[in-house]
Amino acid sequence: MRKIALALAAALMLSACGSGGGAASQELSKDPVTLRFTWWGADERHQRTQQVIDLFQKKHPNITVKGEFKDWNGYWESLATTVAANDAPDVIQMDELYLSSYAERGALLDLGTMAKFLKTADFDKSALDTGVVSGKQYALPVGLSTYSIVVNTDLLDQLKVEMPDENTWTWEDLKNVGAQVSKAGGGKITGVQSLGFEAGGLNIWARQHGATLFDEQGKVVVPPEVLTSFWTYIRDLAKQGVTPPASVSVERAGGSLDQSGTATNASAFATWWNTQLTSLTTASGSTLKLLKLPGEAEAKSPGAYYKSSMYWSVSSRSEHPAEAALFVDFLANDPEAANIMLTDRGVPANTKIREAITPKLTETDKEAVEYMDRIKVGPAPRVTPNGASNIEAIIKRHTEEVLFDREPPEQAATAFIKELQAEIDGA
Amino acid sequence: MSALGELQRMRRGSGGTLGGKRDNKAAFVFLLPWFAGLLFITAGPIVASFLLGFTDYNLIQPPTFNGLDNFVRMLGDARLHNALRVTLVYVVVSVPLQLAAALALALLLDRGLRGLAFYRSAFYLPSLLGSSVAIAVLWRQIFGADGLVNQVLAMFGVEGKGWISDPSTALGTLIVLNVWTFGAPMVIFLAGLRQIPVMYYEAASTDGAGKWTQFRKITIPLLSPIIFFNLVLQIIHAFQSFTQAFVVSGGSGGPSDSTLFYTLYLYQRGFGNFDMGYASALAWLLLVIIAAFTAINFWAAKFWVVYDD
Repeated sequence: MRKIALALAAALMLSACGSGGGAASQELSKDPVTLRFTWWGADERHQRTQQVIDLFQKKHPNITVKGEFKDWNGYWESLATTVAANDAPDVIQMDELYLSSYAERGALLDLGTMAKFLKTADFDKSALDTGVVSGKQYALPVGLSTYSIVVNTDLLDQLKVEMPDENTWTWEDLKNVGAQVSKAGGGKITGVQSLGFEAGGLNIWARQHGATLFDEQGKVVVPPEVLTSFWTYIRDLAKQGVTPPASVSVERAGGSLDQSGTATNASAFATWWNTQLTSLTTASGSTLKLLKLPGEAEAKSPGAYYKSSMYWSVSSRSEHPAEAALFVDFLANDPEAANIMLTDRGVPANTKIREAITPKLTETDKEAVEYMDRIKVGPAPRVTPNGASNIEAIIKRHTEEVLFDREPPEQAATAFIKELQAEIDGA
Repeated sequence: MSALGELQRMRRGSGGTLGGKRDNKAAFVFLLPWFAGLLFITAGPIVASFLLGFTDYNLIQPPTFNGLDNFVRMLGDARLHNALRVTLVYVVVSVPLQLAAALALALLLDRGLRGLAFYRSAFYLPSLLGSSVAIAVLWRQIFGADGLVNQVLAMFGVEGKGWISDPSTALGTLIVLNVWTFGAPMVIFLAGLRQIPVMYYEAASTDGAGKWTQFRKITIPLLSPIIFFNLVLQIIHAFQSFTQAFVVSGGSGGPSDSTLFYTLYLYQRGFGNFDMGYASALAWLLLVIIAAFTAINFWAAKFWVVYDD
């Protein structure tokens, strides 16, 4: 009995680590092929993606694409389990946070080997590079986005607060104008929505101080002083009433976009990715504008950068890599597919497609595209290293500690570096 | 009676020789699905997790044996120590409160209330829902900054706060949630109370014992095996709590790890950080902790549980 159980456990473990892959065919099959395709997103995206799938199946009658979609939160647990069970979907929507973790562990296919089916000529090299890990193209960027300040101009008008000059303003200016809003708003409305709940803001802050979060080897190299100033700034905003009380900020940060201070017209300024402007405008019903990041004028180097909003990847164990590559090619290069998707997955990284769809965009989407051209960006930071996928959880935890006065900013800075480095070393 | 006789006959093996064997075969066939389930779904993973506890396993690449590394690592893992503290507070505070609530309600219902069946169901209902996702979501709404609790407080001119998003009160809301699901122990208490012969109380009344004395000298001792049973069960149950904290904190165990239950931390390591070797080791540590608590419970039972045989 015990022997059987042991043998069984061994079998389970073996099956979990079988190298799989098998005969990675370089040719398209004539027989019926079924691809599994997984993505995260909201309802809007599910519907559009299904239309794209239908279109693809019409053009390739022998290929069936089965969509498996989830919410962001459940997505990564589910992907990890399916990959572990050797049951990964063929085509995977990937994020920058997890790209290294999957690529360096051999779970993703080098898309360069499928160049025959997957064309990348219409992508800028700088964009393509965001999908390269250890010299191999493990992922193809889908869309680009960039960090920005979203301002509610209706609120500013209503409270008679003057719009700051985006070309010269500093973080100090943001604090001051935010304080004016909070004062005029009388408690219900605060000037700024708290920062420090995701990686974008921290990256920007570090870059403006001439630092980066990670070096090329994936070591955490951001100086503690820079992080200390970041958390000190966040604490000051809360202490001076520029951002809401700590528990309100924590609650909003844990909710969906619809529950944010921007969407509920409770905060005049907030940091967001520029492509979120449309959803925020819909949710708030107010006039929202994109502003350049504060502090860019006096920064040591531009804080802003183009982030790949997401990627297409193919599982290294896919039984139909050629067909999977063909499908990714369709998603990335087909004008008809692009007409359906528009900017739902970010401003297309494919420059030809971007030009083609621009006339069809809504006003807010157009503004998001225009914003990308308006700002000055620096080179993108390196992909989040293997093991650091949960960096946002660590940032968030320390922001909470600081906001609730359970930890001074200095301590948050050193603890953050230590924890993050330990995660990377442990991977 | 005849069923019992049948059973005894089977034990002695004096059933029909040929027919008995065929009966056994049939029994095994019927047992097979359960047995296969036990083997593949329960026993297999248990053994696998034990072995994985001694490995470095990231879910994607094959596990590599690393001896006792995972267990050594636990000693210096500050978040694990915090998770243990949070879980212990949760168990030590919520279980006695929950049992007290259950016993109080059971005593009340035992007085032959009219519509007893209805009340029993009504109070039992939260237990059915308690560990469900829906209730945890509801909890978020009730204790949120704009939630029900604060609206009620506002009526009395008290300004509330985001109970769930404040680290000093977040765990408290989960303890309240667990206390609220007192239905299961309550039903067991009710059954236990029915077993206590009425004559004891009658005799005590005649001797002039008040209600409180009766409760202390008759109800508690005679109910002690039931209390013990509920205590053991609910402690084990509380140690394994997961859903409430996961949903209420959005999977983070926050704010600032104040609701980081042991199982939630285990889950984060295993599925969030691809740290399945360590997570497996954590699972076995939890087993040891629960076993230790149960052993202490059984030892302590000698001093206060009365078996009236």
